[in-house]
Amino acid sequence: MAATKQKNLWYVRQARRKRRFTTLLTVFFILVQVLWVGVPIFMTVLWSLVDPNHPWSFPNILPEKLSWGQWMYVFKYTNILRALKTSYTLAPCAVLLSFLFSLPTAYVLGRKQIPGKKFFQTIVLLPIIMPGMVVALFLSRVFNAFGLAQNFFGLVLAHTLMGLPYMIRVLTTSFEAIPQDVIDAAENLGANTFVKIKDIFLPMVRPGLLAGMIFAFTTSIEEFNLTFIIGTPTFETIPTILYSFLGYNFIRTNASVVALIMMIPNIIMLFAVENFLKSDYLSASLGKL
Amino acid sequence: MERKNVSSIDYLLLIPGVGFILLFIGSSIFITITQSFGVLSVTGKSQFTIENWKAIFHDKESLDSILFSLKIGLLSSVGTLLFAFPVALFLRKGGSGKRFLASLIKIPLFIPALVAAFLIINLISYHGIVNEALLALGIIKKPLRMLNDKFGWGVVAIQVWKNLPFVLLILSSSLASIRDDTIDAARNLGAGTFSVLFRIYVPLAMPGILVSMILMFIKAFGDFAIMSVAGPTYPPSIALRMRNTATLFQEWDKAAVLGVIIILTTLFITWLYSRLAEFVTGRK
Amino acid sequence: MSRLILKDLVKKFDNVAAVNHVSLEVEEGEFVTLLGPSGCGKTTTLRTIAGFYQPDEGEIYFNDRLMNNIPPAKRNTSMCFQSYALFPHMNVWDNIAFGLKMRKISQPEQKKRVAQALEMMSLSGMEKRMPGQLSGGQQQRVALARAIVTQPDILLFDEPLSNLDAKLRVQVRVEIKEMQKRLGITSIYVTHDQDEALAISDRIVVMNQGQIEQVGDPQSIYLHPMTSFVAGFIGLANILSGQVVARKENQVQLELPFGRFWAFAGGLRASVGDTVRFSFRPENVVQYREGSPNKVSATIQHAIFMGDTIDLFLDAKGTRLRARAESAAKLKPGDIAVFSIDETAFQFLE
Repeated sequence: MAATKQKNLWYVRQARRKRRFTTLLTVFFILVQVLWVGVPIFMTVLWSLVDPNHPWSFPNILPEKLSWGQWMYVFKYTNILRALKTSYTLAPCAVLLSFLFSLPTAYVLGRKQIPGKKFFQTIVLLPIIMPGMVVALFLSRVFNAFGLAQNFFGLVLAHTLMGLPYMIRVLTTSFEAIPQDVIDAAENLGANTFVKIKDIFLPMVRPGLLAGMIFAFTTSIEEFNLTFIIGTPTFETIPTILYSFLGYNFIRTNASVVALIMMIPNIIMLFAVENFLKSDYLSASLGKL
Repeated sequence: MERKNVSSIDYLLLIPGVGFILLFIGSSIFITITQSFGVLSVTGKSQFTIENWKAIFHDKESLDSILFSLKIGLLSSVGTLLFAFPVALFLRKGGSGKRFLASLIKIPLFIPALVAAFLIINLISYHGIVNEALLALGIIKKPLRMLNDKFGWGVVAIQVWKNLPFVLLILSSSLASIRDDTIDAARNLGAGTFSVLFRIYVPLAMPGILVSMILMFIKAFGDFAIMSVAGPTYPPSIALRMRNTATLFQEWDKAAVLGVIIILTTLFITWLYSRLAEFVTGRK
Repeated sequence: MSRLILKDLVKKFDNVAAVNHVSLEVEEGEFVTLLGPSGCGKTTTLRTIAGFYQPDEGEIYFNDRLMNNIPPAKRNTSMCFQSYALFPHMNVWDNIAFGLKMRKISQPEQKKRVAQALEMMSLSGMEKRMPGQLSGGQQQRVALARAIVTQPDILLFDEPLSNLDAKLRVQVRVEIKEMQKRLGITSIYVTHDQDEALAISDRIVVMNQGQIEQVGDPQSIYLHPMTSFVAGFIGLANILSGQVVARKENQVQLELPFGRFWAFAGGLRASVGDTVRFSFRPENVVQYREGSPNKVSATIQHAIFMGDTIDLFLDAKGTRLRARAESAAKLKPGDIAVFSIDETAFQFLE
C-alpha cells in the first residue's frame, strides 16, 4: 500500500514537471522573441540618439553621448517634412479611393453566386502577386503616356492599386460572413434595400472595413516600388527618403531617425487595433489563392 | 449566398474593383510583353524582333541575376517556414503567456520592408552587435561579412525577419482549422509525437504551408529594395538589374525581357506549388 | 481485453472537480454506460481513461497495470468520437489502417485485418473514398471499424450516435451492441440519452456533478432508482415526500396532502413519524377499478394523446402528478377522475 502511494506521488510530480516545462518553454519563446524584435529596434533608437559631435564607433560598446542632435539635423536639412506631408496626404486619399472602389466589388464577390467568381478573386490578388518592380517600371510607361507620372493624382491611383487587394479580400470575407438568415429575417420584417444596406450590411462589415482600411493605409505608407519609379524626384515619401539614406550615401544615424519616424506610427497602430483584429482578417482573406 | 438569378448588374458592380486592377496590372504586363519584342517601344520605332531575348540569354550577368534571385527566393521561403512552423504549432493551443507572445511576434508585420532591412543591417554589419557579440564570446576571430555578402545571407535574414509573422498568420489559421478530436484520435490509435506531427499536422496544414511558401518566394524573388541595400554588389537581383537596365542604361526593351522572365517565373512557381498542393492533399 | 478499475478518481479543472472521487470496476467484456446530463463528468472520466487527461488523484488500472502515467498512444484503448474524428486527408482504407501502422503490424496482416473490418461494417468497396464523400452513417461505420481493427483492450465511446438522425441512431446502437458482444471487448459508453443507455448497456453508471449516483443493470436502474436524481433523470417520475404514519409487517402508510397510502416498505428503515422521500412512475398511476388500492381523485389539467397511451397531468388537491391512461380512455381537461397507485410502485429515495 505504501509502495503504491509512493508511486502515485511520483506520477503527480511527473505531471507537474510536464506543466512546468510548458511554462518554461513559453517564457523561453517570449525571451527569444523580445531579443528578436527588441534588439534591432533598441539599436536603431540608440543610433538615432548618437550625438553628432561624439561619433559612436568601434570599439565603444555604447555611444559616448546621447542627444536629439540627429533628429534636429534630419528635420532641418533633409526633405523629411515634405515627405511626411506627402506620405500622410497620399495614404488617406488612397484608402478612401480603394474603399469606394472595393465596396461594390466586395459585395458581389461576397454575396452573389456568379460564374467565374474564383477567377475574379484571383485577379484581385494580382497587385500583391505580381512582382512590384516590373509593374512599377512598365506602368510608368503607361502613366507617362497619359501624363500621370510625376503627378500627385497618378501616385494616388498607384497607391489605390496596391491597397485594393487587401480591401476587397477583407470586405469580401466580411460580406460572406453575414448569415443569409439575418438578411431574410430583415426582409421578412419589411426592410427595403436602403434599410438593408444601412442597418444590416454596413454595421456587419464594419470590423472588416476597419481592418481593410488599416491594411490599405499601412500598405500606402510602406509602398516603395511604384512611388520610387513614378513619383521621385518630384514626390518623395518616407520610404524613398529612407532608401536614399541606405543607398550610395549611407548615413546610419540619419537613416535611424527616418526608420523610427516611419515605424513608430505603424507600431502604435498595431497595438491600437489589436482588439479589432482578433479574428486574423489577413490570414482569413489571404489564406487561399 | 443570395439566390442566383445572376444579373448583368452584378458584373457592372465588379468593374470599380476588378476592372481597376485589370486595367492597371493588365496594361503594365501588356507593355512589358510587347516591349520585350520591340513592339510599342519607348525608343519610338515599333518593330517585332527577338534580338532582345537573344541578347539577355547570352548575357552572363543577366543569367547570374536570375539564378541569384531564384536562390534567394527559395532560401527565404524555406527559411521562413522552418522558423514559423514550430512557433505556429506551439501557439496552436492558447495559454496566458502565449497571447502576449503572439502579439509580440506580429510586430515586424507592421514594420515596413525598408525599415526592417535597416534594422537588420544595423545588427549584422561588419562592426554590428552580432559580430561584436560573437567576437566577445570567442566564437569567431575576425568579424564575419554578413552584409552585402556574396552569398546573400544578409538578404535572407532580412526576408525571414520581416515575413515571419505573415507566414505565421497563414500557418496558424490552417493549424487552427485542425480539430482537437482529430489529434486525440491519432494519439488514441497509437501515434506518438513524431507521427502526429508528420502524419496529421503537416499534411493537414499543407495548403497553408504551400500558400505561404508561394507568397514568400514571389516576394523575395522579385524584390528590389532589400536586395539593393543588403544584397551583394555582384550579381544584382533580377529586379535590380531590370531597373538599372531600364533607367541607367536606357535599354528598356532588354529590361522588358527581364520583366517577362520575372513574371513567367512567378507564374511557373505558383503553378508548380499548386500542382504540388493537389498532389499532397490528394484532391483531383 | 481488460478489466478496468477506477479507484477514487479525481480530475480538476481550475480547481473545480469535474470528476469527484469516482470508483468503478468493469468486468472483462462488459458493456458499461456512463449516463448523466452535460457537465456531469462522464466525458472527463472517459478521457481520463483514454489518457488525454491526467487524474489529479486516484488510480486507473487495466487488469493489474497502473495506467495513470501511460500516454494515450500506449494504452491500447480505442475511442469513438462524437465528431467521428476521421482523418480528413486520408481515404477510408488509410483511416482504418492508421492504428495498425502505428503498431508496426506487417503489411499483409494489415491488409487482412482492414479487409475484415470493412466487411464487418459493410463498407467493402468504399476503401478509396475520402471521409468528406461519406454520409454520416458511413462515417460512423468507418470510425467504428478504425476503433476495432486494432483489437483494443477497451473500447471507449463518446456519444458516438448524437450526430445521427433518430432512426439511424436506433439501428446503429443495435449494431454496436451486437459487434461488442461478438468481439467481447470491454466497453465504456458515454451518453446523455437514457433510452440509448437502457437499450445498449450491461450496466449503467448514473453520474451527476462529478459523482456516481447509482450503478446497476438497466432494469434495476429504471425500476429501483435510489436517489431522486436517478428517479428524475431516467424516465418520468413523481417525486414526493411524506410522513410515515403507520407500519405493519412490510408495509408503511404514508401521509400525503391528497390522502394516505399504503406502500411496500422494501428495505426502508424509517419508523412512524419520520419523513421520507419516494418516487413512483406515471405508468403506476392508473384509472381506478373496483378493488384497486390507494385511491386518488384528481382534476385533469392536460391530457396529451401519445398514440399508445394518454399522458395525464393531474392536480390532486394542489399536488401535481403525472399519470397514464389507456389510449381508448375518454378523458378531457377539467374532468375529475379517480386513480389508484400500486403499492409496489413506491421507491424510497436517499
